[in-house]
Amino acid sequence: MAFTKEIYRILEDIVGPRNISDDAAVLVAYQFPLSVTSIHLGPFYRARTPRPAAVLLPGSAEEVRKIVVVCNRHKIKYKAASTFWGAMGFPSHDDVIQLDMHRMDRILDIDRKNMFAVIEPGVTGANLQAEAMKVGLNTHIIGAGASCSPLASATSYAGAGPDTVFMGSSGENLLAAEWVLPNGDLVTTGSLGAGSGWFCGEGPGPGIGGLIRGNFAARGAMGVFTKCALKLYPWPGPPLLPVEGTVPAYKTLLPDNFKAYTLAFPSWQAWADCTHKIWDAGIGYIAHRQFNMFGRDLKFAMIKILSDPGKNLSDLEALSKDPEIRRINESMKREFQLVLAGMTPNDMKWQEEALDEILAETGGFKVNAMSDPEIARWVLAFLIRLGHKNTNLVYAGGYEGCFGTFGPPDYGASLVEKTSEFKKGWEKKGSIVEAGGDCTMGGLGGMGGGAYMMWENFTSWDPHDRDSVEGAFEFFENTHRFAQENKLGTGMERSNALCRGNDGKEIPGEIREEALADSPQSHVFRYQHKIRKALNPNDLGDAYYVTLEGEK
Amino acid sequence: MALEDFRAEAERCSHCSYCSWVPFDLIKSRRFSKGCPSIGYSNFQSYSARGRYALALALLEGAVSYNQRVRDIVFQCQTCGSCDVACKVCRYNLEPLEMILELRARLVRDGQAPPQYEPYIKGLRESGNLLLQPRERRGDWADGLPVKRAPEQSFDVLFHAGCRFSYDENQQHIARTAVSLLNLAGISVGILGSAETCCGGRAYSMGYRDEFAACAEKNIAAWQKLGIKTVVTSCADGYHAFKRLYPRLGSKVEVLHTVEVLDKLLQSGGLKPTKRVSLRVTYHDPCRLGRLGEPYIPWSGKEKKIFNQIVVYDPPKPRYNGSGGVYDPPRSILKSIPGIELVEMERIREAAWSCGAGAGVRECFPDFADWTAGERLEEVKSTGAQAVVTACGWCERNFLDAIDRRREKIQVFDVAEIVQKAL
Repeated sequence: MAFTKEIYRILEDIVGPRNISDDAAVLVAYQFPLSVTSIHLGPFYRARTPRPAAVLLPGSAEEVRKIVVVCNRHKIKYKAASTFWGAMGFPSHDDVIQLDMHRMDRILDIDRKNMFAVIEPGVTGANLQAEAMKVGLNTHIIGAGASCSPLASATSYAGAGPDTVFMGSSGENLLAAEWVLPNGDLVTTGSLGAGSGWFCGEGPGPGIGGLIRGNFAARGAMGVFTKCALKLYPWPGPPLLPVEGTVPAYKTLLPDNFKAYTLAFPSWQAWADCTHKIWDAGIGYIAHRQFNMFGRDLKFAMIKILSDPGKNLSDLEALSKDPEIRRINESMKREFQLVLAGMTPNDMKWQEEALDEILAETGGFKVNAMSDPEIARWVLAFLIRLGHKNTNLVYAGGYEGCFGTFGPPDYGASLVEKTSEFKKGWEKKGSIVEAGGDCTMGGLGGMGGGAYMMWENFTSWDPHDRDSVEGAFEFFENTHRFAQENKLGTGMERSNALCRGNDGKEIPGEIREEALADSPQSHVFRYQHKIRKALNPNDLGDAYYVTLEGEK
Repeated sequence: MALEDFRAEAERCSHCSYCSWVPFDLIKSRRFSKGCPSIGYSNFQSYSARGRYALALALLEGAVSYNQRVRDIVFQCQTCGSCDVACKVCRYNLEPLEMILELRARLVRDGQAPPQYEPYIKGLRESGNLLLQPRERRGDWADGLPVKRAPEQSFDVLFHAGCRFSYDENQQHIARTAVSLLNLAGISVGILGSAETCCGGRAYSMGYRDEFAACAEKNIAAWQKLGIKTVVTSCADGYHAFKRLYPRLGSKVEVLHTVEVLDKLLQSGGLKPTKRVSLRVTYHDPCRLGRLGEPYIPWSGKEKKIFNQIVVYDPPKPRYNGSGGVYDPPRSILKSIPGIELVEMERIREAAWSCGAGAGVRECFPDFADWTAGERLEEVKSTGAQAVVTACGWCERNFLDAIDRRREKIQVFDVAEIVQKAL
């Protein structure tokens, strides 16, 4: 149904005139540019997500509930988003109401004893971490960085990150939640549903984690989460992250029970073996192949630039030609970063010894240049707070991962050279940044005690440059083709292409049917359709909760 | 530059929202984690640099027409530069603050400035100040002070009082204190008196480029005629204008803020504190002395790409990211005063929260200016400080007013006042 002035007035009564707007000047800020990073589709030159009909800033769960009831009454689609990092938080139809959850940004509780926090959608990873650290705890921060909403990640997306090795992924950390269902009912899940507090996601009240998250989470397509509890983890550091230096080269000087290493290996097999041994030994606080996102040929030069406030991106060309920097890049071709955090001096000693033993067994080594105190402290600040994560976009503003995959490290490691060689060929064509082919990065997972991780090969382009954007799109199309031909599976760069198309709008269900009908366990999507129909009878969400209609 | 020149940046902005926050590494609490007052007050994404990039693009594309909301989004911002610092944690090819200033200039050029600006700009054109005061009274603040006056006397070092300290009767004593301290240390300064003109910095940040240029040209001409070698000011707006904006128009004088001079005098023994000042204080970094106080570096060049698509500049472009602002001298002064206990707020130096007065906000959006100051006062209170010390007349005025409205007991001092108490 079209959005009318009458509906606007009803919504205005709910949130107040200061917290609603249908002015185009406001709405254009809620159209995400699909030429920048569309999160696993595109890029599409100068395309944007559809302009919402109005933006609302609800201030409470009750206001959200009332809004959703009005939407159901008038069959108006709505889309909630908290921190707006990527395209999936924005509408994918015309006449959609955008709920900006920015005002609901309270940390309602940090239960030190039981190690969890209760938060609202607008809380960022950085804010929760800063408050948790004051009581000796820490929160998982997703790979997209500290600006993102932990609630959104836990309730509505995948949520892996550099600290997943120790703190799990967001979905694993979700305890009880308060959820405004797509039909406007307010549900409290887990222990909260039984009036027993926030400590558990699966009971004694209704354990509906599967309904909430589905196959790959609903990404704002199934109602609005207004509060949730998240597990917290030990933080064996000071109550305030001690940060020194100036923008952008912030560094943290932590006690000796923290160490940041870059570990490099003579072969990819040795690399993978090391990750398994790390899981077996149970060491590590953060484990992530992070800085390779800048590219095999450019990474150490970029680290030099980012860790020195006196340097500039213009220095990259000269630095990358420096023989010493080239040697360091070559030496850490197959690397990842590992942060150790000892809970006690003995624990730290044991972790250090275990790591040395693992390195001896695998032929790995600590990269000396990355252990330089100035760089190691910058690495610690980067990885612990993850507040520089938009260096993803440092080159020109457009980036996306390709050959994205979840799986055992051996599998991902076995593909790096092959896929990087393919990418290197495309880099030569000029549309994407030439960084050495291998910009592969990802975190060591924690699921089931390990043996699982996420990989993606970062690709950068200039969103202002039509040739660059279209060339990047062509490249991604070809990665898909290459992956299919080589039976590598569908990369994550295609996953949201099943949700929206090149005009930013939802693609027809027939295309999802065609793409997913023969995929493994496609019945999951058909089952999700039944759930969606039951909970969202007026179909007020979008395709980010992926479904297939009918039986097959 | 013209707004059109920012199209590339607008299309390269990834809408990450870092511009809304202080740099994430520096966040110490949820309460004081916001960096941008504009989105902090209005809450819509539109009121962040990200939103303003989107609006700039929409205006260029004709997708949005001028209306009250456009004017609000463009002008409800102190141009404090917090967004610029936060953006540059990760980006080297975006200049959000420059874009916002250009957006304002475009609206002013198109007759879209807020009507509240009109009397102030009229006053600036006619009387050379933004406080709606007569030009001939501009030098009254110095009456009775042993200070040289142009054109009757000549001097090398000029003290530029600025609009606030020249006319605000509650603040004139700060300029008098600064000059007295310089005299005490044997530094002979002169003033232009009624021939002094507003620095124009505030007009520039409001979008009035012609009026800024007129002020700058007038001051530069006066300085040249008198053979001025150094300009000292206690006004952070003036400091920013003289240090960063005037060199573009040919100014070559040395520019110093009072805190820089006083710090050197205290370090060298030119001034010796003899009295104990028992006060627990916190220091507020004025935006235009701190993150916007970096010196101008001439640059003329063009964009180029390396490694196919990495956007850099040839020759390398100066990087203004707040790292080189004036942060240490005022702190050094306060630490050198016996009895002063300096307790820091959470958002300091390049991450400082604005006082709220900047870029015409005090004149055009008084509620927003007051809210912004109130937020800073909450942060002051969280330190347990008895007083907030700063180095900008506009900050001091906005804090004093906000304190009055809230009936708070926090004291407000200029750094120079603290030094004077110790002598």
